[in-house]
Amino acid sequence: MADTRVIDEAPPAVIDSPAVQVRGLRMSYGSTEVLRGVDFDVRYGEVFCLLGPNGAGKTTTLELLEGFRRPTGGTVRVLGLNPSTQATKLRDRAGMVLQECGFPRQARVAELINIWRGYYPNPRPLGELLELVELTEVRGNQVRKLSAGQRRRLDFALALAGDPDLVFLDEPTTGFDPEARRRCWAAIENLRRLGTTIVLTTHYLDEAERLADRIAILRAGRIELAGTAHEVAAHAGLATRICFTTPSALRRGQIALPEGVDLAVRGPLSVCHTDNAAMTLRTLLDWAVDNYLGDLDGLTVTAPSLEDSYLQLTGADGDHQ
Amino acid sequence: MTRSLRLAGRQALLEQRSFWRSTEYALFTFVFPLMILLLIGAANVGSYLPGTDVKNTTVFVPSILAFGVIVAAYVNLGSKMAVLRHDGVLKRIRTTPLPSAAYLGGLLASTVATVILITACTGLIGWLAFGAGPRSAGLPALAAGLILGIVCFATLGLAISSVITSAESAGPIAFASFLPIAIISGVFDPTFSGLPGWLSRLVTAFPVRALAQLLQGAYAVRPFPAWDLANLALWTAAGAGFVAWRFRWHT
Repeated sequence: MADTRVIDEAPPAVIDSPAVQVRGLRMSYGSTEVLRGVDFDVRYGEVFCLLGPNGAGKTTTLELLEGFRRPTGGTVRVLGLNPSTQATKLRDRAGMVLQECGFPRQARVAELINIWRGYYPNPRPLGELLELVELTEVRGNQVRKLSAGQRRRLDFALALAGDPDLVFLDEPTTGFDPEARRRCWAAIENLRRLGTTIVLTTHYLDEAERLADRIAILRAGRIELAGTAHEVAAHAGLATRICFTTPSALRRGQIALPEGVDLAVRGPLSVCHTDNAAMTLRTLLDWAVDNYLGDLDGLTVTAPSLEDSYLQLTGADGDHQ
Repeated sequence: MTRSLRLAGRQALLEQRSFWRSTEYALFTFVFPLMILLLIGAANVGSYLPGTDVKNTTVFVPSILAFGVIVAAYVNLGSKMAVLRHDGVLKRIRTTPLPSAAYLGGLLASTVATVILITACTGLIGWLAFGAGPRSAGLPALAAGLILGIVCFATLGLAISSVITSAESAGPIAFASFLPIAIISGVFDPTFSGLPGWLSRLVTAFPVRALAQLLQGAYAVRPFPAWDLANLALWTAAGAGFVAWRFRWHT
């Protein structure tokens, strides 16, 4: 499916300023410092992911953006508003999915969505909402009879009822089975196609990698790294891995190793790690041509994964923060 | 303002629908008082209050009116509020632009509707079954008693919801904090008079008998209920103070 971004259709004035701007954000509960100077921007139309281990400060950051708490220091602007003083205005335009929020026990799906639509000045049509989160078939069911995944998608529907410009999702798929996660992701991707700006938190790498345009890794109250999944991995200082089947001539020692490339011959496999994949590949392929090796058999180039960089960043002591 | 009223109205409708869908709430709120009315009422037919020509049922029917008001306003609203808080519904409401006043107003409006309905049922059945109806001169006292009763017990319901620590215990705590007082207040027994002196003075301090006596004044001639009015006003003020101090939108 084409990944059309609606950002180009947004009015230019909107693009100039970021949807979310966070500068020097600090938050303490008593003597415990949870956030120690967090900076990031979220652009209009993008999916931005705060990734980090439990206790890194993700939910606190989100609650500050949502106006549920007042920061100890720093500034927050969301859709040009100050969340702690303009909370009501913000709620007209921003939808929020909190962790573990219940529903009225006896309400039915469509009835509840309709009530929620009534809270907003420009609600999104009911049918559209049901379709967006794949709840059309259970629209008449009582909420308490929904599965966990369906309830989470109903969370989305309620957060989207007011046709928000921005949606906050706090750990949208924590504790779900693979099928429920997949449908949750589908709902988020539907949203992204509509051009809604999304800020989500997660501690699942695959979720961040799959959904986010940009990722910020939050650890111990600071942003360690931010950028696309690829940039984050590259910035983490991890090398790209290039391998190919060791040519028999090389194995027999009939030709020399290429110059300027840190190539390790491990029996049938030759491996090298590089920070500059393009340059290394060019050197390797030139070397192959010069030695009549043809195209190198079994050539693979593996970019450093988000997982590698995340584990490197948070592995040692990240979980204990 | 009109928007808030409209939203409160819609919220009240949703609450009423939910109330009738939730069989345990509806059964408890309606059937229980009516059952007590018919059972205990039947046992008192033909009896008079000692030394008077006032029928037992004439004071018993308004006592059950008070019981219904308290169940709907205090037990129901209090436990419902606690459940909404513990389920995170109140927190979710805070993520929307719905004004808090419109939301709470809707809940209260729904409570008032339930009280009016239960009062009408109890009054009608009391009149049909036992011939006990309000005096025409007692109608203002009836209206005043109902309004004061709703205000006082709804406030106390919000107050008790703030000290309930789990959704499961909400109903039992709300009910258990009221039923013993209802019993020693003589709500279920018009001739009840066997209390030791200190306990009957203590009962006078609670708002249950105050409301029952206010409503009894609509059915039988009674002296002006100055203390009962003051009692409800004081409990309302105390409850409101507690709510202002302890009310939370989330756990």
